[in-house]
Amino acid sequence: MDAQTIMSLGLIIATFALYIGISIFNRARATSDFYVAARGVPPVWNGMAIGGDWMSAASYIGMAGTVMALGYDGLAYIMGWTGGYLLLTFLLAPQLRKYGRYTVPEFIGDRYMNNTARLIAAIATLIISFTYIIGQLSGSGVVIGRILSIPAMYGTMIGVVVIAIYATLGGMKSVTWTQVAQYMILIVAYIIPIVFMSLQVTGNPLPWLTYGNVIDEIGAIDRELGLSEYFAPFAESEKSQFLALMFTLMVGAASLPHVIVRFFTVATMKAARWSGAWALLFIGLLYLSAPAYAAFSRFILMTRIAGQPIDQLPAWSENWINIGLLKIADQDGDGMLDWTEIEVSPDMVVMATPEIANLGIFVIGLMAAGAMAAALSTAGGLLVTISSSFAHDIYYRLINPQASDQKRLKAGRIVMILATVVAGVVALDPPGVITQIVAWAFALAGGTFFPVLVLGVWWRRMNAAGAIAGMLVGLGTTLTYIFLALSGVTLFGIIDTGAGIFGVPLNFLACIIASKMTEPPAQHLQDDVTDLRYPEQMTYKDGEVWINDGTRN
Amino acid sequence: MKKVDKEVAEAYFRARTRMIVIFLIIGFLVSFGVVAFAEFFSQFTFLGVEFHYYMGSQGAVVIFIICLFLNAIFSDKIDRKFGIDDKVSVTISNSKNIEQ
Repeated sequence: MDAQTIMSLGLIIATFALYIGISIFNRARATSDFYVAARGVPPVWNGMAIGGDWMSAASYIGMAGTVMALGYDGLAYIMGWTGGYLLLTFLLAPQLRKYGRYTVPEFIGDRYMNNTARLIAAIATLIISFTYIIGQLSGSGVVIGRILSIPAMYGTMIGVVVIAIYATLGGMKSVTWTQVAQYMILIVAYIIPIVFMSLQVTGNPLPWLTYGNVIDEIGAIDRELGLSEYFAPFAESEKSQFLALMFTLMVGAASLPHVIVRFFTVATMKAARWSGAWALLFIGLLYLSAPAYAAFSRFILMTRIAGQPIDQLPAWSENWINIGLLKIADQDGDGMLDWTEIEVSPDMVVMATPEIANLGIFVIGLMAAGAMAAALSTAGGLLVTISSSFAHDIYYRLINPQASDQKRLKAGRIVMILATVVAGVVALDPPGVITQIVAWAFALAGGTFFPVLVLGVWWRRMNAAGAIAGMLVGLGTTLTYIFLALSGVTLFGIIDTGAGIFGVPLNFLACIIASKMTEPPAQHLQDDVTDLRYPEQMTYKDGEVWINDGTRN
Repeated sequence: MKKVDKEVAEAYFRARTRMIVIFLIIGFLVSFGVVAFAEFFSQFTFLGVEFHYYMGSQGAVVIFIICLFLNAIFSDKIDRKFGIDDKVSVTISNSKNIEQ
C-alpha cells in the first residue's frame, strides 16, 4: 500500500466511523422515528440534510465530468436539477406536508381513497428508487476501485456490503443527522480542490469568478484544433434534447419519493417553504462549482497532458487506464499524445483531477471521502424510501394491517438488504454512465408522479380513476421511450434521458380525461384539498374557513 | 375557533397563488427562455463568458435560490397580515401527528 491508499482509506474509515456513531446515537425507536424523524427537524438542518440526501454520486462524481464532456449541453443537468426545487417548493412540498402522511404512496392511497392507486404508487416508488440506487452503487465502485487499484466491479461489491450494513442500522432520524454530516464533508471536499486549481491556473482563489476566462481560453484551444468551441450551444446534442432533458430533470426532481419524504420531517407548511429555500442554497454551492470544476479539469488536461510524449505519461494515468475509465492511444503514431486521442470517461473527472493537478495526498483522499459521503447519504435516503414503500405501504396497509411496529421495522430492513444486493448485481455491469442511469430515475419519477401529485393537491375534481390512469400511462410511456431510444428509435432528436417530456404531458392528459369521465371524488376528499390552500391554523370545514385563535369552537 | 370571512380566505389564497405564478414564470424565463434563444444570447458576454453559458452555469441557479428565499419571506409576511401565528401552527401540526 502506498501513502495515497493509506491516506484515502484512513479518511474514508474516519468519516464512516462518524456516520455510524451518529446512527447509533440517534437510533430509531418507533415507526415515526424510522420514517419521518418524528417531524421535529428545524428548516436549516433539514435543508442541509436534503442537500446530503439529494447530492448523490451523480452530482458529486458524475456531473462535472458530464459538463466537461458535453460543454454547454451539459448545463441542462445544472439547471434541471436545481430548477426542480422551484416546482417542489412552490407546487408540492407545503401542501403535502399539511396533508400529513408518512410516504408518497400513502398520500396517493389516502388522497384518492383507493388501494390500487396505493399499490401502483408503491411499486413505482420501488422501481424509481431501485434505478437510482444502481447509480450510487456504480459510483461507490469507481471510488473504491480507484483507491484499492482494483477493477470498478470489485469496488462495487465492497460498496454493496458497506451500504447494506450502514443503512440497516438506523432509520430516518439517524439518516437526517448523518446526512447533515455527510453534506458538510462532501461540500468541503468538493470546493477545496477547485480553490487550489483556481489558484494554480489563475492565481485567484475564487473559482466562481475566475473560470469564465478559463472557458474563453479553452474555446481558443478548441478553435485552434478545429473542434467546436466548448461553450458553443448545442454542439453535442439537439436543442430539443437540451430542453427535454432539462424539463425531465426538473419535474423528476420535484417528484422523487426519497426527496419529498424529507419535507414530511419538518413541523409546518412554513417550515417546508424555508427547508426548500435552504436546501437549494446548500445544493447550489456544489452546482455552481461543478462547471468551474469541469473547466479547470479540461484546461489542465488540454494544456499539461495533451502534447506530452506518449511514453512519458504521469503515473496516475496508468491507474485509471487499469480500471477502464481512461483510454489513450497514439492514433496518428507521432509519439505525442493529442487532445483528440484522449478519451476520458465522465465518471473519472472529479476523482482524477486532484491527482492530475498534483494537489497532494490529503486533498485526493478527501475527494474520495467526499464521494463516499455522497453515495452513502443518497443510498441511505433511498433505502429508507424503499423499505417504507414496502413495509409501510404494501405490507402494513395492504397485506397485514395488524402487524406490530417491530414486525414492520423487520420487514423494512429485510427489503433494504435485498434491494441493495440486487441493485449491486445490476451495478456490476452498469447499463450507462452514472449521470445517465440517474437521469432515467428522474424520467420515471416525473413521468409517474408529478401530474398525480400536483393535481392531487391543487385540483379537487381529480379522482382515483384519473390517478390510476395517469400513473400507468406516464410510467408506461416513459419506460417504453427509454427502451426505444436506447435501441435507436427517437423522436425530434430526443434521446433516452429526455423521456420525461413525453411521459409527463401524457400523464396529465390521462389524469384529466379519466377524472372527467368518472364520478367526482367524495365531498370530504374534495374538502381536504381545499383545506390545503390555507396554513395549519386555518381549517376548511363544510364550505367555511375557520381560524384557530386559541378559543374553543 | 373563529369563522373567517369568505372574501378574506379567498384573498389569502389568491395572494399566495399569485406569488407562486410570478416566481414560476421568472424561473421558466431564465432557464427555458434563455436556452430556447441561446444562439441569440451568445452575442453578449458577462463576467468573461458568453451570456447563454453564464446563465446556464450560474445565473439561473442564483435566480432560483433568490426566488425561493423571497417566496419564504413574502409568504411569512402574508401569513402575519392574515393573523397566522407560527407557534400555533406548530402546536396544531404536532397534535395532529399524535392523533394518527
